[in-house]
Amino acid sequence: MRDKILWILAIAAVALLTRDILVMVDLPPEKMQGAIFKIIFFHVPMAMTAMAACGVALIASVLFLVTKNFLYDALAVSVTEVGLAFLAANLITGSIWGRNQWGIWWAWDARLTSALVCWILYASYLMLRRAIDEPTQRATFSAVFSIFCFIDVPIVIFSIKWWRTQHPQPVFWGGGSIPAGWYAIALWQLLAMLLLGTVLTMIRLRDEESQREIESMRRMAHAF
Amino acid sequence: MLIQVSPDDITFEIGRLQRNYQFLSYGLVAAWIILVAYVLMMVGRQRKLQREIAGLRAILEDKRR
Repeated sequence: MRDKILWILAIAAVALLTRDILVMVDLPPEKMQGAIFKIIFFHVPMAMTAMAACGVALIASVLFLVTKNFLYDALAVSVTEVGLAFLAANLITGSIWGRNQWGIWWAWDARLTSALVCWILYASYLMLRRAIDEPTQRATFSAVFSIFCFIDVPIVIFSIKWWRTQHPQPVFWGGGSIPAGWYAIALWQLLAMLLLGTVLTMIRLRDEESQREIESMRRMAHAF
Repeated sequence: MLIQVSPDDITFEIGRLQRNYQFLSYGLVAAWIILVAYVLMMVGRQRKLQREIAGLRAILEDKRR
């Protein structure tokens, strides 16, 4: 059943992404920025997917601390890893856009810096997990650290409202502008990225299940 | 309006458009490379875990006998 759901979601994600890319290719260059503006169809949905992943990791971590159910720990680590991949892609696409529009690869403004700090924090979460062998201790410490990491997420999201930044205002629910008709394409692309993120998280969850199976088999092997 | 545009302006505009497409392709390629590399990493890890499970199963079977 889970395999079927995974396949359906994967096919839907690939179909949506293919459709969006074909639509994107046909779009004319934007008036002010030219063709580079189309990077928004990857940059913004990837950021939103990464932030959604951080939110899911927070919920899963809190649920683990409340219930001590290791499924939530597995979900937290899986979704964090997938979110990190999306955030890395978001940072790199943003940097490439910046080089073209600002003439520099990076600016230490509030949005860019807080997003980089967010990436480093969640990467540290994954490193912390590798440093602890005992499963219960690892899951508990990681859950607490994941909750701490989430403090940076609202800072990333609202930094462009709280401070004057070089980063443009948001296209969704903000002062940024997007050509008429492009908004719907961006929303479809967001849906495609969220689906892709869900599929990758489900695949990553299997790794965690296999890892737990290995740990229990090792314990059995030692018990003989 | 058209008269005011010099050949230099047109050359500059063509160069700007070309750079735009060049950077757009860099961005898209970078985004896809990251995601594909991550998927390949997951597939590799899954294979390694499956091999480990098979090895441990064999050890447990031996010990049971």
